[in-house]
Amino acid sequence: MASPVESAVVKSAVLVAPITALEFLGEDFLLTGEGPILSVYSLQASPKKCASINVLQNYRIHGIRPYKKHQSGGIPFSGASSASDNSYKGDIIVFGGKGVRLVSFESEGQCLKLIGPLLELQDWVLDIHCFKRQPHSLLGISLAHNAIMLLEAESGNIISFYSCVETCLLYSALMVGPNWDSVVLVGGTVFNQLVLWRPAGTKLSGQSQVERRLLGHSGVIFSLCYLQESGWLASASDDRSVRLWSVGTLGGDAGCGKESPTCLRVLYGHQARVFCVKLTPSRLFSAGEDGACLLWEWGGEGKVGCAFRGHKSGGVRALAVSEGSISCRAGWVATGGADGGVRLWRVAEGKKISEETQEETQLDLGFRGHGCPKVVRLVGEGESNAILVCTDQGEVCLSQGDIWDVIWQGGSEFQSYCVMEVASIQVQNSDCIVQVCAVGNLNGGVQVFLVGQPGVGVFLRAGEGKVHSVLWVKGLFGESGNVCLLASGSEGLVYRWTINVTEDKSGLHIKEEALLPFLLPPCAKRWLTAAVTLSQRNGFCLCGDRRGSLLLYMERENNDRINEGEESRIDSQDQETENRQTELVSSLSPISTLYGVHGKQGVTSVCEYQDLCYSTGRDGSVRILTVEESTLKVRRVHRACKGMDWLEMVLFLGSDGPERMLNKTIVKRTNDTGRESIAEARFVMVGFHSVHFVIWDPHRQEKLLSVTCGGGHRSWAFKRPISTHIDTQTQALRQGTLVFIKQGAVMASRSLMSTDTSVNGHTLKEGLHGRGISCVCHLGSLSGDLSELWEVFVTGGEDTTVGVLAVCPQSGIVKVLAVLTDHISIVRALAAIRRGDMNERERNNGMETSVLSSLVFSAGGRAQLQCYRLLIHLDEQQSQPICQVTQIAGHRLDEQWERKRNRHKTVKMDPETRYMSIAVVQNESEGVLLALGCSDGAVRLFSVNESSRSVDVLWECFYHQRCVLSVATCKLEDSQGRKLLLLFSATTDGCISVWDLTAVLNSKASVSWQGPSVPFFSIPVHQSGVNTLALSPRTEKGQTEDNVISLASGGDDGQLSLLRIKIDQAEQENGVASLQLLSHWSIPLAHSSPLTGLCLLSPALLASTSPDQRMCLWSVESDGLRPLQVRFSHIADAAGLWAWRSEGQEGGAWIVVCGQGLQLFQLTEKEIDEAENGRAEGEERKKVMFSHQCSRT
Amino acid sequence: MGRSSKDKRDIYYRLAKEEGWRARSAFKLLQLDEEFKLFKGVSRAVDLCAAPGSWSQVLSRKLRGKDKSEEVKIVAVDLQAMAPLPGVTQIQGDITKISTAEEIIRHFEGESADLVVCDGAPDVTGLHDVDEYIQAQLLLAALNITTHVLKPGGNFVAKIFRGKDVTLLYSQLKIFFSFVTCAKPPSSRNSSIEAFVVCQNYSPPEGYVPNMSNPLLDHSYDVDLNQLEGPNRIIVPFLACGDLSGFDSDRTYPLQLDSSKEYQYLPPTQPPIRPPYQQACQLRKSNLLAKEDSPSGALNEALTALDLNTKPDTSTTTPGASE
Repeated sequence: MASPVESAVVKSAVLVAPITALEFLGEDFLLTGEGPILSVYSLQASPKKCASINVLQNYRIHGIRPYKKHQSGGIPFSGASSASDNSYKGDIIVFGGKGVRLVSFESEGQCLKLIGPLLELQDWVLDIHCFKRQPHSLLGISLAHNAIMLLEAESGNIISFYSCVETCLLYSALMVGPNWDSVVLVGGTVFNQLVLWRPAGTKLSGQSQVERRLLGHSGVIFSLCYLQESGWLASASDDRSVRLWSVGTLGGDAGCGKESPTCLRVLYGHQARVFCVKLTPSRLFSAGEDGACLLWEWGGEGKVGCAFRGHKSGGVRALAVSEGSISCRAGWVATGGADGGVRLWRVAEGKKISEETQEETQLDLGFRGHGCPKVVRLVGEGESNAILVCTDQGEVCLSQGDIWDVIWQGGSEFQSYCVMEVASIQVQNSDCIVQVCAVGNLNGGVQVFLVGQPGVGVFLRAGEGKVHSVLWVKGLFGESGNVCLLASGSEGLVYRWTINVTEDKSGLHIKEEALLPFLLPPCAKRWLTAAVTLSQRNGFCLCGDRRGSLLLYMERENNDRINEGEESRIDSQDQETENRQTELVSSLSPISTLYGVHGKQGVTSVCEYQDLCYSTGRDGSVRILTVEESTLKVRRVHRACKGMDWLEMVLFLGSDGPERMLNKTIVKRTNDTGRESIAEARFVMVGFHSVHFVIWDPHRQEKLLSVTCGGGHRSWAFKRPISTHIDTQTQALRQGTLVFIKQGAVMASRSLMSTDTSVNGHTLKEGLHGRGISCVCHLGSLSGDLSELWEVFVTGGEDTTVGVLAVCPQSGIVKVLAVLTDHISIVRALAAIRRGDMNERERNNGMETSVLSSLVFSAGGRAQLQCYRLLIHLDEQQSQPICQVTQIAGHRLDEQWERKRNRHKTVKMDPETRYMSIAVVQNESEGVLLALGCSDGAVRLFSVNESSRSVDVLWECFYHQRCVLSVATCKLEDSQGRKLLLLFSATTDGCISVWDLTAVLNSKASVSWQGPSVPFFSIPVHQSGVNTLALSPRTEKGQTEDNVISLASGGDDGQLSLLRIKIDQAEQENGVASLQLLSHWSIPLAHSSPLTGLCLLSPALLASTSPDQRMCLWSVESDGLRPLQVRFSHIADAAGLWAWRSEGQEGGAWIVVCGQGLQLFQLTEKEIDEAENGRAEGEERKKVMFSHQCSRT
Repeated sequence: MGRSSKDKRDIYYRLAKEEGWRARSAFKLLQLDEEFKLFKGVSRAVDLCAAPGSWSQVLSRKLRGKDKSEEVKIVAVDLQAMAPLPGVTQIQGDITKISTAEEIIRHFEGESADLVVCDGAPDVTGLHDVDEYIQAQLLLAALNITTHVLKPGGNFVAKIFRGKDVTLLYSQLKIFFSFVTCAKPPSSRNSSIEAFVVCQNYSPPEGYVPNMSNPLLDHSYDVDLNQLEGPNRIIVPFLACGDLSGFDSDRTYPLQLDSSKEYQYLPPTQPPIRPPYQQACQLRKSNLLAKEDSPSGALNEALTALDLNTKPDTSTTTPGASE
């Protein structure tokens, strides 16, 4: 039975790991090192990957050194001019750990080829320098024990070996010099010094002496860079600083440079440790753990010229800077992150200086007029730069260029208080667009006039009291050239008029038509703060008010319009009473209300985009809403970064022009099929963060723009530059302009005329979680007739996010479909239930598209549990998977404590529980039961109801008194139909306990349940904690044994155990089931490290992983466990593993390992001979041994 | 709220403050001693990579408290400075240098040590292959010092990272010691790859001469196969020591452990002395970090002021380094 599995072959299909090396080949290619894999990206036109190969097998690439053959001297490729030569042919030296290898690259064929075996040295390689000597190329290698050696590149023969008297450990090293005889080594030592020595220097007992010693750093030195032209050396350190040293010329006749090298600069700008540093003739680049790459300018006193950001938590691990060719005067900057992402920026050389001057100061627009400015708005779209200001004297001033003109005066009624809003209206029966302005006052008066012709206006009345807000929305029922004015009165009524602009022989005229007012729900502050007309649903209007509520109104077809004449009869008291009653009867109430969802600070904006609604509020959240059968429903909630609680609006990064029509077609198509599968748009959040105006990208967790403008602004305007490319749109937002009022002056963050776009960013490779991935869960597969296979995962990480990923094993593409950011601590456990799979598949047979519908549960720190509905399908236009996320419910144990009013005066006494593991106990249509292992020693049972969107704790038991690390469940049913529900829990003392939860199946209680207080079986299995449990899948009907469970467990002691348990249900009539242990096999030290991932592929096949970076396959046989295969994994700190059978006739299986990255293994059945040949081809290696005799050469 | 969170999530962090230990790692050495009786008959001990000094603190309390009449000597070695401890001689030096070993022997008046302990961990970069390599090199350097200063039959305890190449380290230790055990005390978290290798009965190979000039180099092995089978595999037993009645380092406990005693927050016993990030934190507190919009003229002035404060310390360490 085991013989077919014995011939299985395991190979790595996809790898996502920290980017540990980057290097440019001129201006056209970028080399990246990710784990042992070397990749080449072509940078012409739109950058993309063109080649990839495994180079160092089980070592991680830490350095890439390109060099060209037949080049005289040891000049690297970047020094040679390649402006006229777009083709490249040469060798690349790749090193990392103890491995060194030669690779050749041809840009015409776009292929990478291995040259010779992998050279395995006896010490860690820190730097490699290429020297030319006929007939072989020679490599100067710097080793981690402060030694250097000369090696033949292809044969691996050692020519010479030198070591320093100071045999200390180096964290970084750099070799400088034109030839081997005069080479100089710069080393960053473990005691925070930079030592310079050379093999040609003074000897002491056969070892070289240190000739220069640079002191100053108080942390270890991670990176070094030397610039020959200026004689400068830069060092990046653990003390968060970058130091610039003047060491003079190194190498050659100059030896170790100046007698007394000095420290020119100490650059403090990073918020965390600095890992990388690069020097160019005009500037210095540094990157570190805070995820920022800083550009330091020489001018002035060492200021930060620009900051490139974009990597998730974990920071930047690799940095590369190209020097730029003569023709384009711009170079590339590439950063590789711990999240596995690669970012690329084009940095201008000359324009930077002029841009600095502009960015240094905020412009005072020189407002001059009566009174203080209160409201500021931008007028016009596109290239227009007019600014409209309303003052507390009731004047409206227009600014064009540097001149301010008073265009309208409101008189005494409009003094001391005003609200103003501007809109664009298309003139009826004309292509002309004009700007219209509305101003409200304290007495219910609203003046509407044209900005270009202030004389053309109309006076409206919105009740008796104060006009709290005026808003412009698009006309209802989709009429063109039609806008609607909404004015909030003081009695909770929102007065509305349809405004048209007509043109006749005598000029332009404003024509208004009164509509029924909106009635707001009762509260202390009853006025609208935001409104939008829904374009996809005729007659619907979505509003947000000051109380934080979202209201949906529907316009009636038969409009009972209030005559203007009725308003004028206010003299008689009896008529006044009648009019008020008429107003109440003839107002519109909302048909759907979400009361106070954005908190008491109110809603700030609502908008519609691609049939989804987005609302922002001052609770720091963006809510995504749908309108289903005239009912508002919240689909998802996004939050901005920490501290950014004052959200004002969202900006969308969708494409304009022809692609927009395509999107509309897609939307209509999905509507026709009746499926609710609209994906969210890419948007950024705009708001205030303390005293800064901030644009925040939630997808990349990146701050795009930050303007220091003071806090608590009530009026501002933002001009967004026009950009068509989605990737450059995020960068273009950095060039946006904020206009605001500050202490009576109208300020702008930068010139409105500026059109600089010198900083462009590309994402060559998308990153996953920056820090470790702690859990992974496989949802399913997607494939169409014409498209490739996509495997869909959910991952939870230490950066508190949950990622939905799609992996294409054929092409190696990893696509981030969604990032869920609702957790406030580490996500430690994931579970998923597939729902409606068969129905969806049947219904879509005609469309030949599969749909994944899953309920996903994530749990982690701060006792937080979240539930999401994921709908994933393939976009037929692009053959890419699309994910729609609906947030079902969330739960926290200490939520009650957080809502107490005086919580800050008391110390929080209860433990901050972490949820360590999760298992689905019961999956029914009316509810889902989940078992969670908790760090406070409890096992808890939760009930999740999707329809009512609620999570409740059914049962909790503190029997264990130790951290519960793992839980697993299984359900049994005997021939007589009696059911048995078992829960397995494992703790840090190595015990596995079995609980009988059968009674919960029959219980109808939905709030609490009286469960057992002790398990009915417990057995010590491991010496220390049990990290993972795996239950065998359901036994096949052919097996004779009934009610036999196979339970595999992996522990912190590295042990792998397998228990075979037989459940005797005959005694269940007495109320207690009995359990019999049939067999218990253990393999101590199955791994050298704690066993952290375990999964049963079949009752006979088991997969395990560990932080020792091995993935093992085990055969479960009648007499125990037997190892089948061991495969080296490139995922450090392995934390989880998931395995599943692949669908289709080919058979085989997939195994995914998560940790510091993600790796997908493919398990196929092939001939043994083919496997051995396959291994021999790429995994050839050669050991390089050197003895002490070499040191005397 | 923030101050008491760590007291709930880490019971040994809290107990260390209550009992006056400098770091929670003190409990690891105490629990290892309970299992292996490391302190029995020890009168000369060396603590390598000692800072912040919790293991030296354990040695001082256990050894000096036991035999007050007898002479007990403890030497602590680290690159970083350490706050003084009673009965502990501090050497600030590099453990990869021969002069450090000679200085240790000089403090023992020519005699060898009975016990060498090493709780060495690198400045963690977050890249696991670099961290594991540096930690392995620290362990090998500690082993090298031990071959100079430890008497035959003595014991050696060191931290080890159970990672990618942990088997290589086992093979090195097996050469010099009769018994090598990988042990994990209860105060070490289940979620950590950290463990401690307990090497008993120092017995170097015949004819071996300790030599600092030739650091031990790793030899290679087949990555895939030898992990599980084959004659070259190094088997070092694993032992989770400590009884189960103690505290669970992974469990989150409520603040009110004992109903009779009211919870009271205690600050850390010993904050870090001049950490590498000290200057950066001071600049950040003063809002003087260089930013994208602001020049760093004020930064340089603040740096000058800070450098003046640190210069006297630098001058004191320079003679130590040259010595």
